[in-house]
Amino acid sequence: MLDVRGLRKVYAAKDRTVEALRDLTFRVDPGELVCVVGPSGCGKTTLLKCLAGLLDPTDGTVLVEGRPVTGPPPGMAVVFQEYGRSLFPWMSVAQNVELPLRQKKLPKARRARLVADALAAVGLADAPSAYPWQLSGGMQQRVAIARAVAYEPHVMLMDEPFAAVDAQTRADLEDLIRSIWARTGVTTLFVTHDIDEAIYLGQRVVVLSASPTVVQEDLTIDLPRRRDQLETRALPRFTELRTHVYAEIRRAQGREPAAPELPGVVPTGSEG
Amino acid sequence: MTGRSRGAVLGLAGVAGFAVLLEAVPRLLRMPQDVLPPLSAIVSALAGEMGTADFWQAVADTLQQWALGLVIAVAAGVAAGVVIGSVAVLRRVTASTIEFLRPIPSVALVPLVVLLFGTQLGSALVLIVYAAFWQVLVQTLYGVGDVDPIAEQTARCYGFGRWARIRYVLWPTAQPYVATGVRLAASVALILAITAELVIGSPGLGQQIAAAQSGGATALAYGLILVTGLFGLVVNVGVRAVERRVLRWHVSVRGETAA
Repeated sequence: MLDVRGLRKVYAAKDRTVEALRDLTFRVDPGELVCVVGPSGCGKTTLLKCLAGLLDPTDGTVLVEGRPVTGPPPGMAVVFQEYGRSLFPWMSVAQNVELPLRQKKLPKARRARLVADALAAVGLADAPSAYPWQLSGGMQQRVAIARAVAYEPHVMLMDEPFAAVDAQTRADLEDLIRSIWARTGVTTLFVTHDIDEAIYLGQRVVVLSASPTVVQEDLTIDLPRRRDQLETRALPRFTELRTHVYAEIRRAQGREPAAPELPGVVPTGSEG
Repeated sequence: MTGRSRGAVLGLAGVAGFAVLLEAVPRLLRMPQDVLPPLSAIVSALAGEMGTADFWQAVADTLQQWALGLVIAVAAGVAAGVVIGSVAVLRRVTASTIEFLRPIPSVALVPLVVLLFGTQLGSALVLIVYAAFWQVLVQTLYGVGDVDPIAEQTARCYGFGRWARIRYVLWPTAQPYVATGVRLAASVALILAITAELVIGSPGLGQQIAAAQSGGATALAYGLILVTGLFGLVVNVGVRAVERRVLRWHVSVRGETAA
């Protein structure tokens, strides 16, 4: 579905070059929810822009549904961290959600239905005529999520979408993503710097190294499919996975020699 | 009392104070009537003039020149601004030329346009368009440059083509800037309309002022000047009202209402 092969990105400035991504290879299968986690400055946003076709890689390829990415792929929706800048302040909530559907040339009745359903799914059924700037940060990000959902994407990319909201809102939005994914089965790649969030949300977690960035580990999250903010996070297994990824990231930053062994974990990076 | 009505009351008090000053100063200083007549004389001269067809013809001429020039300047300024602003190469190529042409006072072109168009309406129109065009162009360029990269990327991700990005992202972003440009251009266009009539003698209020002054009707000349001031005021208030309606989503209009 989403296939990243030998992805490398070098930013060339006048007097120096910065290797943001050295060599990334991983894949996301149809219907998977995969989280990418890495230390700050490891090129997560660069990776996401390459996947979204907003940035040309220096080397390597990205395939979405088997086709190489040369521009924004048609079946992809992106949720940005900066919801306030990603939503259009000159349009109401409903207009923001509907506009991409108009670009898809969907008939009016279908658009209205998709907008209403998506707003209901994110708990904003009563706010279609509000303007984004009249809503709280968490609600604005819900609008951005509704816009992505209404688009009926085959792949959904999320770039640290909850980095700028408070902890309680964040937990609610995480559960919202889980429930949307469970209901629609949309292939989702969720980029975050938050280890707990990555483990809580993902079926798999791709751990990135510090810059120059490679895939440090590709970890299957063997937690029960039904996640609950209290129960899941209290599971001993959750703590084990969390400790393991945390150690991996410390190692990636060069502070620790090696991560402690994690019982029962088989890295999945080399699988087909 | 709300802030707005309080502002209106204070504004009216200022106008009243100024009127008293205009009435009192000429009387106290015993100025001759043909140099600085008191306000009452100015108003009565103007009232008499307002009964004539000539006056209204002049008002119509000035307004028509102003409106026509402004519309042309806004259309050209916005179109040029959007095209230049969205093509990086064009922006770099034109930047220094714009900075060179923009400060040239329109009035400096008077001899040129008289040579080209004589004292006909075309002359005034060229001056108005030239002066107003830069105001709109420069503001539009600022506006186009202010497009948020995240908004632009969002639009691209959701499959917006070039035209859709201009219509739904670039144009709304530029609107507040264009509104400022139009407001500046409206004032400048009025100044140039009156100037052209004064200097070149094309028909309108400016020509009437020159005629009144040279004919010794000083009070009337002052009266006509007040009328041009009133125009400026009405134009500014009108443009602001439109701005508030169209840009109700923008921070400058809605205020910082954090939810």
